[in-house]
Amino acid sequence: MSGDPVAVQETASADGATLSGGLAKGAGSLAEQRIAVATQWQLMWWRFRKHKLAAAGTIVLALFYLVAAFADFFAYADPQDSDAQRSLIAPQTIHWFDEGRFAPYVYALKGTRDPMTFKRVYKPDPSTKIPITFFARGEPYKLFGIIPADRHVLGVEGADTGKSLFLMGTDTQGRDLWSRLMFATRTSMTIGLVSVALSLVLGVVLGGISGYFGGTIDSVIQRIIEILRSIPTIPLWMGLAAAVPSDWSVVQVYFAITIIISLIGWTELARVVRGRFISLKHEDFVMAAELVGCSKSRIIFRHMVPSFISHIIAATTLAIPAIIISETSLSFLGLGLRPPAISWGVLLQDAQNIQALVISPWLLIPSFAVIVAVLAFNFMGDGIRDAADPYL
Amino acid sequence: MKSMRPAAVLTALGLACVVATGLGETAAQTTAPADTQKIGASLIGKLEGPSVVTDVKDFPKTFKEAPTLDALVKSGKLPPVAQRLPEPSQLLVIKPLNEIGKYGGNWRRAFTGPADHENGNRINSADKILTFDYTGTKIVPSLARDWKVSPDGKTTTIYLRKGAKWSDGKPLTADDFMFWYEDIYLNKNIVPTPFFEFQINGKDGKMRKVDDYTVAFEFPEPYSFFVYQLAGSTAIGAGLATRGAFQNWGGAYAPAHYLKQFLPKYSSEDAVNKKAKELGFDNWVSLLRNRYSWALNPDLPVMTPWKTVSPINTPTWSMERNPYFWGVDTAGNQLPYIDRITMTLAENIEVANLRAIAGEYDIQERHMGLSKLPVFLENAKKGNYTVHLDPGLYGSDVTLHMGNSYEGDPEIAKLLRNKDFRHALSLGIDRDQLNEAFWLGVGAPGSVAPAPDTIYSPGPEWNKKWAQLDVKQANDLLDKIGLTKKDGEGYRQRMDGKGRLRLEMITVGGSFVPFTPVAEMIKQQWKKIGVDVDIKELERNLAFTRDNNNENQIITWANDGSEVLFLFPRHALPVDAAEAHMGMAFARWYASNGTAGKKPDDPEMLKAFDLFRAAYGMNDEDRTKAAKELWKIIVEQEWSIGTVGQSPAFMGVRIVKNNMGNIPSRQVNAQHVRTPHSSWPETFYFK
Amino acid sequence: MVAYIVRRMLLAVLTVWAISILSFIIIHLPPGDYVTSYIASMSASGSAVSEGEAAALREQLGLDQPITVQYFKWMGLTLRGNFGMAMEWGRPVVDVIGDRLSLTIVISLAAIIFTWAVALPIGIYSAVYRYSFLDYVFTFVGFIGLAIPGFLLALIVMYVGFAWFGANVGGLFSPEFAEAPWSLAKAWDLTKHLPIPAIVLGVAGTAQLIRIMRSNLLDELRKPYVMTARARGLPEHRVILRYPVRVALNPFVSTIGYLLPYVVSGSIIVSLVLSLPTVGPLLLKALIAQDMFLAGTIVLLLGVLTVIGTFISDLLLMWIDPRIRLGRQ
Repeated sequence: MSGDPVAVQETASADGATLSGGLAKGAGSLAEQRIAVATQWQLMWWRFRKHKLAAAGTIVLALFYLVAAFADFFAYADPQDSDAQRSLIAPQTIHWFDEGRFAPYVYALKGTRDPMTFKRVYKPDPSTKIPITFFARGEPYKLFGIIPADRHVLGVEGADTGKSLFLMGTDTQGRDLWSRLMFATRTSMTIGLVSVALSLVLGVVLGGISGYFGGTIDSVIQRIIEILRSIPTIPLWMGLAAAVPSDWSVVQVYFAITIIISLIGWTELARVVRGRFISLKHEDFVMAAELVGCSKSRIIFRHMVPSFISHIIAATTLAIPAIIISETSLSFLGLGLRPPAISWGVLLQDAQNIQALVISPWLLIPSFAVIVAVLAFNFMGDGIRDAADPYL
Repeated sequence: MKSMRPAAVLTALGLACVVATGLGETAAQTTAPADTQKIGASLIGKLEGPSVVTDVKDFPKTFKEAPTLDALVKSGKLPPVAQRLPEPSQLLVIKPLNEIGKYGGNWRRAFTGPADHENGNRINSADKILTFDYTGTKIVPSLARDWKVSPDGKTTTIYLRKGAKWSDGKPLTADDFMFWYEDIYLNKNIVPTPFFEFQINGKDGKMRKVDDYTVAFEFPEPYSFFVYQLAGSTAIGAGLATRGAFQNWGGAYAPAHYLKQFLPKYSSEDAVNKKAKELGFDNWVSLLRNRYSWALNPDLPVMTPWKTVSPINTPTWSMERNPYFWGVDTAGNQLPYIDRITMTLAENIEVANLRAIAGEYDIQERHMGLSKLPVFLENAKKGNYTVHLDPGLYGSDVTLHMGNSYEGDPEIAKLLRNKDFRHALSLGIDRDQLNEAFWLGVGAPGSVAPAPDTIYSPGPEWNKKWAQLDVKQANDLLDKIGLTKKDGEGYRQRMDGKGRLRLEMITVGGSFVPFTPVAEMIKQQWKKIGVDVDIKELERNLAFTRDNNNENQIITWANDGSEVLFLFPRHALPVDAAEAHMGMAFARWYASNGTAGKKPDDPEMLKAFDLFRAAYGMNDEDRTKAAKELWKIIVEQEWSIGTVGQSPAFMGVRIVKNNMGNIPSRQVNAQHVRTPHSSWPETFYFK
Repeated sequence: MVAYIVRRMLLAVLTVWAISILSFIIIHLPPGDYVTSYIASMSASGSAVSEGEAAALREQLGLDQPITVQYFKWMGLTLRGNFGMAMEWGRPVVDVIGDRLSLTIVISLAAIIFTWAVALPIGIYSAVYRYSFLDYVFTFVGFIGLAIPGFLLALIVMYVGFAWFGANVGGLFSPEFAEAPWSLAKAWDLTKHLPIPAIVLGVAGTAQLIRIMRSNLLDELRKPYVMTARARGLPEHRVILRYPVRVALNPFVSTIGYLLPYVVSGSIIVSLVLSLPTVGPLLLKALIAQDMFLAGTIVLLLGVLTVIGTFISDLLLMWIDPRIRLGRQ
């Protein structure tokens, strides 16, 4: 006698009108029938699709994760390859048509430093046309770390791509910004996932125990949460970051940072979970399950959890943007990922000065990536939450 | 149901992107390059500065004072100027650089907090016992009007100015020196260990009062170098203001009449402890330390041209003229010209630089970043200021200090102690690249040796030795050592079979100089010689702690101050146990005369130590020869690898508003002259 | 009821004590101490500290004693109201913090007022005209504030303010008023400088507030009493503003408590970039310098304020919402 399909069906019929209205106009009773037998997840999906911003957000995020997975492919230059002669090149103009045909190309650049203004000045050399090719062969890499490959999304013919193509310009060390952005996306998008996964586990377990068992356990856990929330985050970050042994490798530090971020973020999820458990504890279907003789774990996992799992998913999705911003803030404070690691936070540090704003504003482009990612997560999370809430 | 197209959203973002890049492109490609000249030459002026007049014949006979003091003199609160100054033959007379100046004005500057006292110390360094001229090479009088070194070098005598007074009108005499020596320096509760500068070969010096205006420093062995200690930025010579602000008891003199009240000797331990606790301090030593600082304590009598009104631990650090300052210009005007100095707090460097660009500071050379030079130049007209570049004299802003006493990893430790390995690393660095990317081409690529025109320079060829890009020779040297095996990616394997050879380089973030990006570029460059390196950026505190424990393989830091090898050796040789980046264990061994730390195995380092120790007792000529010898050893052994130096990166970007007078077009940018003190800020004025 | 309050207060004391221990540990986690930090910063500015001085300073400040001794010494001082001497500042900690406290509160309040004044109307509009074009626009604009990293926004706003409007760069006062004593003119100068910090600080919070307001109000608007009011002929704006909005505001009461520590600390990162003389940058610099008393006191202060704030929130909630009050009996 698990309560869920029944409960959902009750609400489904109440909402049937709105849903079917959006589903298939004119299908009439057929649509209503489909709704009546649809599972909770199908209902959520149908409602989610209607929310335009959420849908857009999801597509954008899918693109971001595509980039994250295939960063080596989307980058066309070595993100660490530096050359002072390429320092601070502005994004190149791409000439799309060569004598009427669609054949994009760029000119080679000659750079010098102006002795009066001290800026790097680049003149395109009209005599050298460097054609751009798609899916070109370039630096070899290992897809997912195992499959050897050497195709990149872009390349140039007759020259070294890293020395000729600068879609988003270069930084002070002459490193291609586009390629660095690809790898930064990988790092920053995955930190968010790992961190939130840890927060989720901690939050659900501790919040659940706290909410379900109540009493002293609840009190103790609540106190711990209160203490953690009372300490301002920056000192906590500084202390924890300083505790990371200095002889750890960049990858180990990366994981330490994700753990640090999640250790502070789990309290919010725990609160939500606890709230849900407390309100559900007194529901009829839980009492019914207890009376029938279900074990505690079965009650928790089979009956209670599924009824609020959608809220958890929504809360989790909405927690990720905060983690992304935290990562950039940690970099600002010098505590997070530092060069030579590449993340959005690291890239933004190059832009966090006056000369970037005035002389080389293209260094600010990674901030768009952050903004778009955070917006996308928020819209998607909103959409999930709206879709999951049966009372909306 | 209406809905906003997500497409529109994304298009808007994309448009913004395009606009941003479009702006950037036009910004980068406006001006065509002018004809080739050494980059930066247009902004580096001619070395010039005021001079101290020493011939009494040329001293002025009548005196004038600032109009702001007129009212006080009229009302009787201040004696007339002639009575405030020392006796006419005892004056400090300065010939201003360009012309006699005008009184008045408020000099606005930026400071970053209570730790930034050097900002004010260096302007207020006239109270040093002796000082250097504007070239940074010759010693000239300052607080003391003259000095004498005995022929055997064991005694240095200084002659004070008769009639010179503290800022509260009380006379400065030899008693103030003896007070400092007996009641502060010799008091183990206050100064636990003697100053290194006040010792020769580990033996303490003594101070003796000869008469009311004459003080003698006596040493058991020849120490003719001591006079340089009195002129440089040292614990004993840097003046009460500076040492007080550092809260470390230096200066060699102190206002006895004011400080007596804080010492137990003159009342009782209980009384002073009680007073301390009332004011919130732990004990009387803490209170004394606080009262000793001119930056924290406006009541402290000082000998400096300006004295603090609003202390450094408030949002505005302001100073006003000291009516008893003992210096005049050649026309008899009591210095300084400028009435007030107001420093406003900038919580971070970007704000300070942006305010300078906005023209909010009158003269600012501190905290201005070289990387912002293009922005400074763009706004010079609007902000009504001129940009001057003052190159430093030391060899390398970013120096790779090798951990010569590192022990953690035996193979790496062995390699670090191998001269050929160090040379190979150095030959693998493309310094021109670094110069172009981070110094805007303005620096000089080279070794750690000081600028060729400094007195201790062994010659210009030593700036290039082992410091030019030569990938072939580097590879040959590494092969010769035995690092011949390489892995699939071209990196050399360790000889002990534990995989890839990987060094660890520690950098520090948030400094005047971009250590971490430079290290990143070097890492890329070392690919060509097959050496892998892990760059770790650490908090400065942590990096220094690891140094102290000999945990760093390579650490990047500056080598400023090394151009005056004997006044500030710690960035050239590991001889100072407070800070030694190239071998703390060796520094401890040297500083303790062999009782602590570890003795170096390297015979060349022992040779350098011996020569260094002996130099302090030599006469000037021999010492200069010794310095050159030492630099030859240091460059040849390359215990520290230099990259790019002799640049204005460190306090050398000077923004000066166009209405300031007597501003040198180029000033010495060095520690020992306490830049900008060598340009005598007392003579700067508002036109 | 009284028993509840007493029990909560005891728990609060316990929490505060735990916070004090944690703060102390956190500040001491980084290796080294104030003296190493001091030497390092001196070296970075081209100056020297000798080994003897370092040892003396360490002994002076009691840094050579074991951490437990230092903790109890600090606790002893704190309980007597003496929060110690800020090492870098050479002034008592209370003075250093006190100087900045009033300005911090002013800025934080300005930011909070800005946030609420912008977010609440937008939230109400968004709920009433759900899925309309403006709803999407406002939601979007609100979220942009959430998405831009604060430090970057602060720098850009500061630079744009200077380059296009000739505004003072950062800080809270024009140079001529910085040192001047308080006067009407100075107060007006302060007000003129408040918009930039208030906007930059407030912008991030608006999105959250809009979203919460919107969903709360939506919950209320569906309730039968709203339909009744409409059916009874009340004008629309009264229907919405008089009842549902007030009920929708209830949950905000519980967030007031969390505002308390924020009001006192301000935002650390944005304040740093804008060079605001508030408690935030003070804390950061104290942590970097490992100035134990200053950092410890501020962290403790913020912790205590959070506990007090939570307590106040709970009380307020109980007072407003009779269901909670009655449920306790």
